[in-house]
Amino acid sequence: MMLHLDRVSKAFGDRQVLDALSFHVHPGEIYGLLGPNGAGKTTTINLICHLLNTDSGSITLNERPISHHTKALVGLAPQDNLLYRSLTCAENLDFFARIYCLSRQRRRQQIAYCLAAVNLSDRANSVVSTLSGGMQRRLNIALALIHNPQLVILDEPTTGLDIEARHDIWQLIRKLKQQNIAVLLTTHMLEEAERLCHRIGILKAGAIAAEGSLDELKELVSAREIVTISTDEPERAISRARDLGWSHRFYGDDLALLLPEPLELRTLLDCLADISLDSVVRQPVQLEHIYWEVAQSTESPVAIC
Amino acid sequence: MKRFWGETLAVARRISIELLRRRRSLIFWGIFPLILLLLNGSILAERRQIELAEALGLSAPVTLVGAALFFSCLGGSVAIVVAEREQQTLKRLFVSPLSGTAYFCGIFSAHFAIGLGQTLLVATFAVLLGATLTGSLVWSLLTLVLSILSYVGVGFILGTQLARRTEDVNALVATFGVPLLVLGGTFVPAFLFPEHLLAIAQFNPVYHMNEAILAATDATPDWPDFAPHLWVLVLFAAASVLLGWLSYRRMLVQERSL
Repeated sequence: MMLHLDRVSKAFGDRQVLDALSFHVHPGEIYGLLGPNGAGKTTTINLICHLLNTDSGSITLNERPISHHTKALVGLAPQDNLLYRSLTCAENLDFFARIYCLSRQRRRQQIAYCLAAVNLSDRANSVVSTLSGGMQRRLNIALALIHNPQLVILDEPTTGLDIEARHDIWQLIRKLKQQNIAVLLTTHMLEEAERLCHRIGILKAGAIAAEGSLDELKELVSAREIVTISTDEPERAISRARDLGWSHRFYGDDLALLLPEPLELRTLLDCLADISLDSVVRQPVQLEHIYWEVAQSTESPVAIC
Repeated sequence: MKRFWGETLAVARRISIELLRRRRSLIFWGIFPLILLLLNGSILAERRQIELAEALGLSAPVTLVGAALFFSCLGGSVAIVVAEREQQTLKRLFVSPLSGTAYFCGIFSAHFAIGLGQTLLVATFAVLLGATLTGSLVWSLLTLVLSILSYVGVGFILGTQLARRTEDVNALVATFGVPLLVLGGTFVPAFLFPEHLLAIAQFNPVYHMNEAILAATDATPDWPDFAPHLWVLVLFAAASVLLGWLSYRRMLVQERSL
């Protein structure tokens, strides 16, 4: 096990941010840590990076308790681009390679590797302040890889990026997996977690409320298909759904009907025939629905698959 | 130990590259002491009715230690810590294995190099205008090292505790700096001070820096003239470094949780 958090708790004053949080990440695994703002994701990252100390519980990296000595095992790409803006891409990488005490030859190799990994080889000598936001984001990730860490923490790595840049970063994350590097990914983009993560943990009130692979998590939603409707008569629609044995949820303002089995469109419309509908959207169960399910559940934890 | 030196050199190298790339600070830190030297030399030549060359020779050490190093080393180190804060690069440093001591030593080394550059510039300029530089090289170097150490230490304290943004740097350096420089005899020689000001100046570290460098660069350097100022300087440098380190530790606790 590369990373193991065992019943970790952390409070700031009266505010309990983490409450017996436990999860683990294996080498070569991409673990997605999801949760609303304030759920404790950043605090979790700060604890793993040994920026904060736990109140109770333990965190181990490669079976070693985290300490100053385990810092070299971790590479962090923070949410914001933390870069020296008047240095070039290569100089930024070189500075951190020196901090991690890489030999001259290793430095050269790692700088070339990291620049290539994030498609910035041709901008090696460009000053950071002249790079686009997407390029700075990629360099931010490259800096996390410079010392060849065994665990890479990516804190919302694709926020604010265009689709092309996002796909580049997804490809890079998959490459890390192939190199047997453990990846802890936090994101608000559920599609990103769906595409990349082997396992997903949904953080709620400082603890993992649901955890498992996407398929395992889908079992938490008692439906095979979600039909989201826009209607002026939500009460009638809910009543009809009940008659048909369907559950319903409100995802924000949207009324979603949870169908135990997928229906033909014609059959579905027949079922809702006398209800005025502005739109009907049919979807298979996705992470978004699971996320809502967990967020709206009053039980804690919902399920650890 | 190898790791420590590696980290120290990495920090010093990074700061040097940033300064060289921006150039502006380096140019101003070069122009400032030369202008001040000319002004101090001209005033001294007129007041003491001596040749300009001789006056420049007498003014150069004080101009260097009291003014040039003050702005480059104290102002510079405050600016570096504040810039790290503003760019949030401190968090990346905290995540890395970089030790606080190596970080301090890296900043000190970069500023020591700048200080040496300013020393060469001021000395060359004075010599080109006919001044003769005298005194003990070792004592002069010792004074330079202790002065830079003190300035960087105080810069750490101000940068970590009082300056939150770049705009604060100028205000801080002006508020703390200008009165200390005037009272240190940087612009007006201390021997012209009234008695009560001279008594207050004894508590001003810049005064001891200036007096130490004046004693060290005297044509016949005399240990009893130099020693009292040296000891004050040693104590002040040690206190600055210690308080700078404590301030850094305090900042670590504050910034880590962000």
